[in-house]
Amino acid sequence: MLKARDVTVRFGGVVAVGGMSIDVHAGEIVGLIGPNGAGKTTFINAVSGTYVPTQGTISWRDEDIVGHSPSRLARIGVGRTFQNVASLNDLTVLDVVKVGRSVHGHSRGLREFLCGSRADDEALTERLLEPLGLADHRHSPLQMLSYGHRKAVDIARALASEPDLLLLDEPVAGVAPAEAFALAGFVKQVRDLLGCAVVMVEHKMDVVMSTCDRVVVMAEGCKIFDGSGEAAQSDAEVRRVYLGD
Amino acid sequence: MSLRQIIILITVALAVMVVLPGLGRYGAYIVYVVAIASIGALALNLLIGYCGQISFCHGGLLGVGAYAAGNIGNAGQDMVVALVGAGIVTAFVSVMIGLPALRLRGLYFAISTLAAQFILEYLFRLIEPWTHGVSGLLIQPAPFFGLDLSNDRGYAAIAVGLLVMSLIAVSRLLRTDLGRRFILIRDSEIVARGMGVNVARTKLWAFAISGFLAGMSGGLLAFTSRIAAPEAFEIALSVDYVAMIIVGGLGSLPGAVIGAGFVVLLPEVAQRIGETFGAATQTAALREMVFGLLIILFLIHEPRGLNSLASRAVRRLRRTSGPLSNNKRSSASDLEMTQARL
Ligand SMILES: Nc1ncnc2c1ncn2[C@@H]1O[C@H](COP(=O)(O)OP(=O)(O)OP(=O)(O)O)[C@@H](O)[C@H]1O
Ligand SMILES: [Mg+2]
Repeated sequence: MLKARDVTVRFGGVVAVGGMSIDVHAGEIVGLIGPNGAGKTTFINAVSGTYVPTQGTISWRDEDIVGHSPSRLARIGVGRTFQNVASLNDLTVLDVVKVGRSVHGHSRGLREFLCGSRADDEALTERLLEPLGLADHRHSPLQMLSYGHRKAVDIARALASEPDLLLLDEPVAGVAPAEAFALAGFVKQVRDLLGCAVVMVEHKMDVVMSTCDRVVVMAEGCKIFDGSGEAAQSDAEVRRVYLGD
Repeated sequence: MSLRQIIILITVALAVMVVLPGLGRYGAYIVYVVAIASIGALALNLLIGYCGQISFCHGGLLGVGAYAAGNIGNAGQDMVVALVGAGIVTAFVSVMIGLPALRLRGLYFAISTLAAQFILEYLFRLIEPWTHGVSGLLIQPAPFFGLDLSNDRGYAAIAVGLLVMSLIAVSRLLRTDLGRRFILIRDSEIVARGMGVNVARTKLWAFAISGFLAGMSGGLLAFTSRIAAPEAFEIALSVDYVAMIIVGGLGSLPGAVIGAGFVVLLPEVAQRIGETFGAATQTAALREMVFGLLIILFLIHEPRGLNSLASRAVRRLRRTSGPLSNNKRSSASDLEMTQARL
């Protein structure tokens, strides 16, 4: 279980996240929404170890994780995707997914060195690439893929590490609506299968409403709402922030 | 590297071994000089071309390998023990030099390797019990697995064998989790870190493996030249190796061999030409200038080096002649045509 209390991240004078608190339980998909610049990405970065919060506490399964590096967090089951996916030059889809899998800790270096990894490729393709529609692209370099496919690769990469806490930063932004629902559906399936906790930052409200069990709304660095999706849509404060009235 | 490529590689190596007895001493000398340089270039390409850590102290590292192998060999050990020992010692030194890479990136790190190069040069002169200072360490011939192979053909066989093993090992390494992390770090250290890769540890592995290969290459160099002296491992040598991998192709395994061949053979050819025209000293002075110019030209026009130039030429030839002749050409004739085109 993730427990964040009073998390604050400052960049010089800018307070990107100011006093954010949240609880996420195993098996739960929480939608983290809010207007642009609300601090959602920064908060995800603080939880995943990219930034160290200036203030506040974050614990994962009762372990204090403030100051842990992303690689250390990956080993204890924290996985994430990126809002802006990198366009890597030479690595193929399978390569990236394998990097994702390797960060969980169990090294297969020597075995791969001696025996190669063909059997492995098939297992990964069937388990992750097939459902994400990437099977035909598994040997393509990332830079040859469309934006939507690169987003899917990033999700496959994060899932390959079999995370217990999955942080998704706008997983379906810039993806066509039909594919967006398919991606979100797959995230739900994975949750059902692994029972992991999911935090999903997303602007597409229809995807959020159909996927998330609970919605947390951020504005100007703090939480202004925490509850069901329906309640969020009728909440006066949330309407004010979104509609600006 | 696929099984097919490995088989081709071993076949080529065996072919070289078969023609070796027919080569004169000079031919055998050329073969081992290029093979030894190729191992060193492969080591540097792993570090720069695959892991993105620019280093200008490769010459110094070869020197560490040379002195280590020389001392172990002079102590009466087999050449195999000396080479592996040199690899281990150099891997250790390479990791030390790599430590600043945990803090510094890109050119800033490159400058720290420049400092390492000068420190190594200084140490080669200073630690006299191991290096014999400016006069250099004389190295006794050592048996190889108990066999006496201390002649040009023997060296050529050892060097080609070691090169093939190194090429196969590195190509397999690149298909493991560690190898993929190298490439990821080269493409973006920030992305690699965000994905949960332990960047520091991965980089140190790159330095260790690169150092091990460089040490073996330096060790072989020491046994073949029978002396390790400080002036042989100066900054100019480091620049030569950077030139090799840029000319051959950054991040390309055949490129390391092509680049090494090019940089080693060009001066030989230039010297021959110089001698025939009676201007040997002038052409020797031109050497560094030509390499500097080549580095710049390749960086601007062909950053992926001769290897990509060659494979593109092959592809173009295939395409233009494809519809006319449907019969499959052998790769040997492809190579000839490429050379003709170049
Ligand atoms: N590295 C940084 N340095 C300085 N300021 C930053 C940095 N990262 C974010 N900020 C600022 O912090 C605030 C929150 O940014 P953040 O990216 O977390 O918002 P967000 O909620 O993810 O927005 P979006 O929906 O557009 O992705 C913004 O005002 C942004 O300008
Ligand atoms: Mg964001």
